[in-house]
Amino acid sequence: MKTPRDLLLARHQAANPKLDALRHAVVADLNRQGAKTRRPAPRFAAACRGWLQQVWLELVWPCRRTWAGLAVVWVLLLLINVSQHDRSPVVMARSSPPAAMMLTFRDQQKMLNDLFADHAPGPDVDRPRIFLPKPRTETLEQATV
Amino acid sequence: MKMPEVADIEPLPVSQARAGEPAAWDTLFRRYQLPLYVYVFELVRHEQAARDLVQETFIAAVRHLGSLREDAKFGGWLFGIAHQKCLQHWRRRQEVLLAEIPETYDDEQDGPDDLLVRREQEAAFMQLVNQLPLPHRAVLLLHYLEDFSLEEIARITETPPGTVKSRLHYARKTLRKLVEAKNENPA
Repeated sequence: MKTPRDLLLARHQAANPKLDALRHAVVADLNRQGAKTRRPAPRFAAACRGWLQQVWLELVWPCRRTWAGLAVVWVLLLLINVSQHDRSPVVMARSSPPAAMMLTFRDQQKMLNDLFADHAPGPDVDRPRIFLPKPRTETLEQATV
Repeated sequence: MKMPEVADIEPLPVSQARAGEPAAWDTLFRRYQLPLYVYVFELVRHEQAARDLVQETFIAAVRHLGSLREDAKFGGWLFGIAHQKCLQHWRRRQEVLLAEIPETYDDEQDGPDDLLVRREQEAAFMQLVNQLPLPHRAVLLLHYLEDFSLEEIARITETPPGTVKSRLHYARKTLRKLVEAKNENPA
């Protein structure tokens, strides 16, 4: 009694020598190509490659969807960040107010300052001293009296 | 001669093959050459063509090993290449015999796969395998030769797992009927 597998393999057992020859040909070709192109890789580089491959297979590949999702989120965050800090000359020119508006604003501020400076009561120290120039003779008289 | 076991105890040297070691490739090819040949031959029914396709499969495997993601799935990946080579062969020869039979699958569960073929049934068994439509034959061969799971067979043949299940069920049921009928009427 044979299993179907045994039966199938036994039926084609005669093909094995030819398959061996075929295999040897492919491997010999591989050997020739390897001898032409292969260079002894530095041990450190080989170790690094192996380590990277292991990390890729064990850490990245099993949760590739999660990593891809995180990457998308980071890219979105980066895009939002960049768009908010756009400092191109066009944007700067667009955002700065025109000169006429600035002049008007300064005039208004000056007027307001003048108004509040005249009427605002406050302690003497805070009040600006008004110095009225007088002839020197008058000042001398006041001093002697 | 002892047949190679389906489940190998020693892991296959796929990582060494990735590094381009010819000895590793030799081991891999030796392990799969006969099952691969049987699979290809039973599909194309031509000795020389089958050998050529096996050789093309080996060469493609060397070239494209980088596309294999998991070393443990080397067998299924290799059979997938062979399957594609068979499809290309049929297309070249304009002999696509992919005649479908209705994909009917009743809910009757398959029993354990304990099908054993007696010596006097061997020829009839092979004849019946040959009579199966190509898609069913491919699924059955993959199942018996390498004991691939439904998902692996689905990947190799690029067919939905439900279809694979249906085909496998049909093929096994037909074979079982044959074996049982022969057992009842040994004459």
